Amino acid sequence: MSLLNVTGLCAGYGPARVLHGLDLTVEAGEIVVILGANGAGKTTTMRALSGLIPHTGAITLDGRPLDALSAPQIVAAGISLVPQGRGTFSHLSVLDNLRVGAALRKDTAAIAADIDKWCAIFPILAKRAGQEAGTLSGGEQQMLAVARALMSRPRLLLCDEPSLGLAPKIVGELFDVLADVNREQGTALLLVEQNADLALRLASRVYLLEVGRVIAEGDAERFRGDESIRRAYLGL
Amino acid sequence: MDIFLERLFDGITNGTVYAIMALALVVVFRGTGTINFAQGEMALFTTYIAWALTTQGIPVWSAALIACAIGFVLGAAVERTLIRPVRRRNDMATLIVALGLFTGFNALAGLLFDAETKTMPGLFPGGQDDYLAVGGARLYFDALGVWLVVAVLIGLVFALFNRTRLGLHMRAVADNPESAALAGVPTGRILMLGWGLAGIIGSLAGVLIAPLSAQQLSLTTMFPILIYASAAALFGGLDSPVGAVVGGLAIGLLEAMITGYVDVIGGTLQQTAALVVIVLILLFRPTGLFGTRQMERL
Repeated sequence: MSLLNVTGLCAGYGPARVLHGLDLTVEAGEIVVILGANGAGKTTTMRALSGLIPHTGAITLDGRPLDALSAPQIVAAGISLVPQGRGTFSHLSVLDNLRVGAALRKDTAAIAADIDKWCAIFPILAKRAGQEAGTLSGGEQQMLAVARALMSRPRLLLCDEPSLGLAPKIVGELFDVLADVNREQGTALLLVEQNADLALRLASRVYLLEVGRVIAEGDAERFRGDESIRRAYLGL
Repeated sequence: MDIFLERLFDGITNGTVYAIMALALVVVFRGTGTINFAQGEMALFTTYIAWALTTQGIPVWSAALIACAIGFVLGAAVERTLIRPVRRRNDMATLIVALGLFTGFNALAGLLFDAETKTMPGLFPGGQDDYLAVGGARLYFDALGVWLVVAVLIGLVFALFNRTRLGLHMRAVADNPESAALAGVPTGRILMLGWGLAGIIGSLAGVLIAPLSAQQLSLTTMFPILIYASAAALFGGLDSPVGAVVGGLAIGLLEAMITGYVDVIGGTLQQTAALVVIVLILLFRPTGLFGTRQMERL
């Protein structure tokens, strides 16, 4: 059984349907990337999976249906989203942002240890611990957003365009950390990325989205080598 | 000198009550995004309940605590049953519901307790001789008691916000509700608790001010308080608890000094003076002294 199983997912905003029956799976410990042009429904998929917008179709995590759950309940079930635009709490301190990330946990000592761990992985967070998150640079905020999402110790981490607007060096660091988290903690990753080259290097499997449907899927290896698919769907 | 001190004491006493009423408005605004214009009348209603309890021989402190507990339940219930269903549509709907509640709670108080003015017993000794002489002026114990209760309450609310998990989650929901939900914070429950907290604070404000108010406890007791508290909250910044406290004290002092020293205004134009303050602030500093959010919603 797959960790995440999505079948016939339809979702949108009000009367505007964006997803038209999307199927995808993520295995435990796997890194999967969703590629597609603007408007293909990548962000909508992430928002539906996180319980932020209503959907039809079936979403299960380890066989457990998530369809009737609210966003906080989905976090409790083990899925955490790093939203597009980061969504940090701009008037809360960096430390408080990380604490909110552990909102559902009761293990006080382990929470403190996790905060220390993230401050070690991203030393800039330790340096800015008392500062309001809104005063951080874009890259620093993205690191904070990733660390905060991982504070809930999810089994599946969703990242919506983590590289958006960041300098290449920062993006490299961030993807290294994501790879480490996946390798060391076995956290599965489902990424949405515009930066296809980078995403294909990290991911093992790929879904190509076009107007709300999966039009191709397969090993990242295959897409890396396939110039025609790259040109057609990735705008490269 | 002594007349100045007495005006200063009066200003501080009223200011502290405006401060906590403004704090109640801020707590709701941060979470819900609108001013709860019914906050004053909800407090009026629970203050009437406290008064009714004291007429049944229940000590005034117990009556005040019961009123606060009812204020909590009332605030939480109003959020859950009336605000939450309309809030998803838009902020204007919330505002209209709040205005409806304003007239509703006032009418309900009138219906249950009639329109006669009641004498609300004070929480502190309020006799002619219960005062401290300070620099030739009289600082009455009941005023001093209000200062102390308000200081303790403000301390508790700030400790709640900054030292507890619930407070952290309240601040997170106020800052970014969607991110809070994505972190697992039950945003609906947090908003409900915020309204409940505002209900407690408002009830306490009512119980404190009614014995000191010139009108005692009547159906119009809380309206001017709400006007001053709104001015205070706007002055300090609608999303800033610190601003509410500073704004409340500032408005209280302004009121005491203006009515004391500017003869034209006297006792009749007090509320107008407060409204002028609101307008001036909205003109020159829309976010208030400590506020951060643009008030485009108003």
